[in-house]
Amino acid sequence: MRQTNITPSNTEFVILCFEGPDRYSLAGGLGVRIDNLSATLATMGFNTHLFFVGDPSFPGEELRFRGKLSLHRWCQWIGRYYPNGVYEGENEKLYDFNESLPWFIKEHIVKPAVAKGKLVVILGEEWHTAEAMCRLSDVLHNDGLRDNVVMFWNANNTFSFHRINWGRLNYATTITTVSRYMKHVMWRMGLNPLVIPNGIPKSSLGKVDDRETEAVRRALGADLVLCKVARWDPDKRWNTAVEAIAKLKEKGIKTVLLARGGMEPHGEEVLSNARSLGLTVGKAMTKPGSPDDYLAALQEAATCDIIDIKFHMPLDFLRVVYRAADGVLANSRHEPFGIVGLEAMAAGGIAFTGCTGEDYAIPFVNAFVLETANPMEIVGYMMYLRDYPKEGTRIREAARRTARYFSWEAAAQNLISKLENQARMQEALGGKPTPPEPQFALSKLPPELVATTLKNHY
Amino acid sequence: MAQDLVIYTVVHQPRRLKLPAQPVPEGASPGDIERCLFDEQLNEEYLRKVATYCYYPATEMFLELADRGIKLSVGFSVSVLRQAGEWDRKLSGLFQKLVAHPNVELVNVEPYHSFLPLIDLRMFARRMSWARNYLEKALGKRPEVTDTTEMLMSDGIYHALDGLGFTGAFLDGRPWVMEWREPTHLYHKGKDMMLLARHYQLSDDVGYRFSNKGWWGYPLLADTYAHWLKEASGDFVVLAWDYETFGEHHSRDTGIFDFTRRLPEELAKRRIGTLTPSEAIAKYRGRSYHLPLPTFPCTWAGEGGMEFFLGNAAQQAVFQLMLQAYNKALLTKNQRLIDLALWLIQSDNLHLIQWFGRSGSEAEVSAYFTPKEWWGLGPSGIVWEMQQVYKNFIRALDAHL
Repeated sequence: MRQTNITPSNTEFVILCFEGPDRYSLAGGLGVRIDNLSATLATMGFNTHLFFVGDPSFPGEELRFRGKLSLHRWCQWIGRYYPNGVYEGENEKLYDFNESLPWFIKEHIVKPAVAKGKLVVILGEEWHTAEAMCRLSDVLHNDGLRDNVVMFWNANNTFSFHRINWGRLNYATTITTVSRYMKHVMWRMGLNPLVIPNGIPKSSLGKVDDRETEAVRRALGADLVLCKVARWDPDKRWNTAVEAIAKLKEKGIKTVLLARGGMEPHGEEVLSNARSLGLTVGKAMTKPGSPDDYLAALQEAATCDIIDIKFHMPLDFLRVVYRAADGVLANSRHEPFGIVGLEAMAAGGIAFTGCTGEDYAIPFVNAFVLETANPMEIVGYMMYLRDYPKEGTRIREAARRTARYFSWEAAAQNLISKLENQARMQEALGGKPTPPEPQFALSKLPPELVATTLKNHY
Repeated sequence: MAQDLVIYTVVHQPRRLKLPAQPVPEGASPGDIERCLFDEQLNEEYLRKVATYCYYPATEMFLELADRGIKLSVGFSVSVLRQAGEWDRKLSGLFQKLVAHPNVELVNVEPYHSFLPLIDLRMFARRMSWARNYLEKALGKRPEVTDTTEMLMSDGIYHALDGLGFTGAFLDGRPWVMEWREPTHLYHKGKDMMLLARHYQLSDDVGYRFSNKGWWGYPLLADTYAHWLKEASGDFVVLAWDYETFGEHHSRDTGIFDFTRRLPEELAKRRIGTLTPSEAIAKYRGRSYHLPLPTFPCTWAGEGGMEFFLGNAAQQAVFQLMLQAYNKALLTKNQRLIDLALWLIQSDNLHLIQWFGRSGSEAEVSAYFTPKEWWGLGPSGIVWEMQQVYKNFIRALDAHL
């Protein structure tokens, strides 16, 4: 009898990505995404294989989640020459990845799975995996296995799009992306990706302890606290954020910006701009430690207008900061999805997002959606929140409710539904499909989303 | 009228480069550099393919000929012996069986089929001596006569080999080398080592033209060929071919095996005897002739000069890279890295791009030897990526200096 739906008993998942769960392999949001996606699939009961550029000092293979998640650390022999993370020696690793992975996956995963009558879903993430996905499709086709495999390749951003052979990739795989904005960007390239939004882990949805947020506020001692976590990249509109702080300062409001950037040189330009606007900049430094250590580090720099945070903030502490801040500036001019905005909302923070890929943000309902690079737009909303504090409370609550609908479980279900559709087109699945749990039934939606939905439809 | 025939075949498989070039990690160990340079998977595939179509049936055929009293000589590059030892032990055993036959003489060849005789004569001599010991150990006979790489011979090469005590060496009997002389006599260049001149026309009738339906001599039958051999003036005819002529360059359905199997009978009818190279040297040493050797090396490839390997800009560029790779590796004094450089100066890497910017039968031969897996890169892509392999290696040596 033909299978009608993708279930743990009839399907295996394979995920290809440069980044992964090892500290060595985490460079940004991609590693977190992959860690969460693979863990979610494994938790749902799917046998899941994650291939990534792993820490060379760790075992090549590792089982997690009671054996449901197999980590395959790839390129380790090259990684031994490049101890500074996943992207050091990128070209060397990429060659090895493309060269060795397709054959391995075909022989060691697809063949045995298909022999057991299973469907195999292969997900490739980002440009690094595009060539490997094409080659994998070719070798599967050569062995008569391609029809038993559903292959999705996902664009989380537009990095290195010029290095992708789109015609080939579009032929070999189903292309997906993370937001409608990205879909439109890719439309202009003659592509029509499916949209499968990102997710956040359930652990991000818990309530943040008010005592901890108050401790942050006390440590900073400012009238207004803003926060921004992003790479130092012009796309992130750091200068707009800095200029907004300067404008608020001009108004006599003691404002502090908690700035957590990366290692990019644009950071120096931004901080130099801040100084030229009369803002003071201090650094907060500490070793990995307890929340008290982080607080002490922030307090030490609290006399400054901008605190350049130089330590890694664990998610738990980051959530406290998001919640403690009067606004989280996720104000990018180009954001494929904008996970920071969503994470801030999940923590009960007030996100100031841009207006590109942040499909989750509804202006004045669960966030502020910035339409321009004018710092006065931020200033205006901040003043509004000062004047109407209840609005802030309402938005924070709405934000948390919305974030629940972007959990990884929801994202995975969305993914599976789209995979099932593709599998039916390939005739790898047949018969009448069973609908999934109605996670998005209207009655379960939060009031603000019901209102939006109804308005859009009627 | 030639009385005797010397038959020589050489077995060789290149160690093909990995294309597109694999970037070498900074600071990579010699072992990791090696895995980036060579495509061993491709090499295995080709060895197995050639073994099926050529090495097994041809070796069985030569054993059969030897059993019927035909004297043969055969040379092996270390390159092919290493591959057989790695991937097809049965084939290694069959080669050993052939060499062990009393009618078969083992000939020494340049171990990696490299351009060392052009680059470094002293190292060339050392390597030839090493190959001689290697072949003796691997195949059970000590070679007394030697070939080089692609039958390269020059004044310098002659002296390097003579110093090693070989009794004889092969060269290709091209008119530009032989001038007014016939290739059907024994020669020397003033030292003890004799020179066996390959009869390039009669050899190429089988080696190149046998399956060419446009050739006036097609189809070549054993009786006709034996007649041509008998008609050759001089003492003896040296025929020399790639071993892969039998079943690979000319597939079974061309009739190459039937033709060769029929030869002993036709030779016997015309009273043409066969000799091993050592036997020919012993028999004709008393009336050997002086042959001035050129300073520019001659070869059995192409038109007989180095233009086959260095005739286009792409080959010249790769040759420069070979020089740099080899000489820089020497600076490291690391034997493993020097060994890798010796692999990189394998002549095949220039042979395989002879077609670049050219057309005609030689280019077709060259293109035939280029792995089909490379053509997806396009002609320029092949040349570019090949250069990258060398550049990657040269850069990787920095960590060992």
